[in-house]
Amino acid sequence: MSADVMVKVEQMSFYYGDFKALNDISLDFLKNHVTALIGPSGCGKSTFLRCLNRMNDLIPDTKIEGRILFGDVDIYDPKIDVVELRKRIGMVFQKPNPFPKSIYENVAYAPKIHGIANKGPQMDDLVEESLRKAGLWDEVKDRLAEVATNLSGGQQQRLCIARAIAMQPDILLMDEPASALDPIATQKIEDLIFELKERYTIIIVTHSMQQAARVSDYTAFFYMGDLVEVGDTQEIFTQPVKKQTEDYITGRFG
Amino acid sequence: MSSLIESSQANKRRYRAEKRFKFYGFVAILLSLGFLLFFFADIIRKGYPAFQQTEIKAEITYSKETVEIPPLAVNEQARDFVSRGFLRMIPSQVENNPDLMGNTITKWVVANDDVDQYVKGQPNGLSSSEKQKIDKMKKEGKIDLSFNKYFFINGDSKMPEISGIFSAAVGTLYVIILTVLFSVPIGVMSAIYLEEYAPDNMFTRSIEVNINNLAAIPSILFGLLGLAVFINFFGVPRSSALAGGLTLSLMTLPVIIISTRASLQAVPDSIRHGALAVGASRWQMIWHHILPVSVPGILTGTILGVARAMGETAPLLLVGMMAYIPEAPNSFTDAATVLPAQIYTWASASQRAYVERTAAAILVLLVILLTLNAAAIWLRNRNEKKW
Repeated sequence: MSADVMVKVEQMSFYYGDFKALNDISLDFLKNHVTALIGPSGCGKSTFLRCLNRMNDLIPDTKIEGRILFGDVDIYDPKIDVVELRKRIGMVFQKPNPFPKSIYENVAYAPKIHGIANKGPQMDDLVEESLRKAGLWDEVKDRLAEVATNLSGGQQQRLCIARAIAMQPDILLMDEPASALDPIATQKIEDLIFELKERYTIIIVTHSMQQAARVSDYTAFFYMGDLVEVGDTQEIFTQPVKKQTEDYITGRFG
Repeated sequence: MSSLIESSQANKRRYRAEKRFKFYGFVAILLSLGFLLFFFADIIRKGYPAFQQTEIKAEITYSKETVEIPPLAVNEQARDFVSRGFLRMIPSQVENNPDLMGNTITKWVVANDDVDQYVKGQPNGLSSSEKQKIDKMKKEGKIDLSFNKYFFINGDSKMPEISGIFSAAVGTLYVIILTVLFSVPIGVMSAIYLEEYAPDNMFTRSIEVNINNLAAIPSILFGLLGLAVFINFFGVPRSSALAGGLTLSLMTLPVIIISTRASLQAVPDSIRHGALAVGASRWQMIWHHILPVSVPGILTGTILGVARAMGETAPLLLVGMMAYIPEAPNSFTDAATVLPAQIYTWASASQRAYVERTAAAILVLLVILLTLNAAAIWLRNRNEKKW
């Protein structure tokens, strides 16, 4: 792995109460690349993803060990500004969760609270640009004032992506972004990921190995809280080093 | 193998059980509707006569003598039937309008309660000769029913014919304003803290349990608490709207906290996560995303809680609001009473004419409460949002 390292995870362990959900994970994420996290349900991949923007802070009685370096700062440093961190690391959830407001307001929300764009034409441009990047502009340009929850599931998910990229983050975390969508909407999201990686570092959790193979440059295989194997997606899917990885990707378990 | 056309015995039994169950449910609804209708019909039947009042066409002579001895001011035919409430006013009428002195004026004057009840066909304390006189005056067109404006513009009185709900209505308004001012901000903020900020530990859980228990406590205990804390300790004036409002706030707080928490809980976590993930602070998350969608629920709970407080009598008994208050309060610290207390006072009064006033006051209170509930439903429907 060459290129710039965007996020460096060093010997990170994570606990829910007494239960150790992640065990001594070390992993680098490269700038402008897509890394897929795969593994069977309950393997800790989503937990891992939520550690990266500290969304796990919301869950009471959790504990983290090790370091996650973003640039040269440990994001679990007590002095870190979590709001600023989450502004730099956008997130798209498994279930589309647009705010029950208008399409425009959904996209303009983050820029507004972070002062990225001023109200008026500047904001209009940013909203349009974000929606275009998310491949949604043509479908919604005439009904920006409509409530976002009226959109279809796939449109809602692309709106959530637009909402995240409107705040101009460095990294996009995606937690099974297509699992609630039909194949056509999934296709659109995957195409989008391919385009977005030119600007953003993308980390995607997925249940679908085909999806991981299609969209990612690197793949990390998690199993029972351990990072079993990580490497070039091509290699992981064609010549996995570990037996567990091979069993999983060939569908023998999981 | 059972036939598709003919139900098996077991299936027939199941259908019969279902029919029975449906029937019981239907009967229950019919019964409760029946009770409700009976209640409304009874109250309306008893209460509507109070909206009319018997008046007598009398000749009133204003002179030095009659200001001293007011009954002499009224012509003899009407003298015994005019309300003492009117006679009492004669000196002040002259004081306010000195031109009246030395004149005789013919005008419609409030009749006393016995005459009023006789005209309305109710039991009364009149002798048969008095009844004959009244019948005669009625034929002459000197006694008639008219709209009872006194019921709305007067306060309580020992003379039923001139007693009204005004002072109690103003008292209720004051008390409710205070209740809303105290309980809504404190209740909503407590609920937000408990739901969105508080860590889940023994302390917050015990607070939670206690709030739920408070909502189920007999309201008279809140009266005792109000008496002990607000009146005896803080020295809030007894019988005042302030004492009543504070006491009712205590009672309303748990209701508001519980309903606010319920409507905050109803907002899906995905919205919270979405907001936090774009870098909103917790306060921004609450203010921009959670509150806007939970406002209808909060309002509904608040209105229902306040409506309950409005109909409450027991706690006010102990802070001295169950009192004879003929004058509407001018400030939050004046002695005041409230509509339900007025209803109770009239219900236990001996004169017959108070019966219809009791029912009429109940009608007024019911109309206000139903209006409030309708407002709650309207608000809920108008602001309902989907996510």
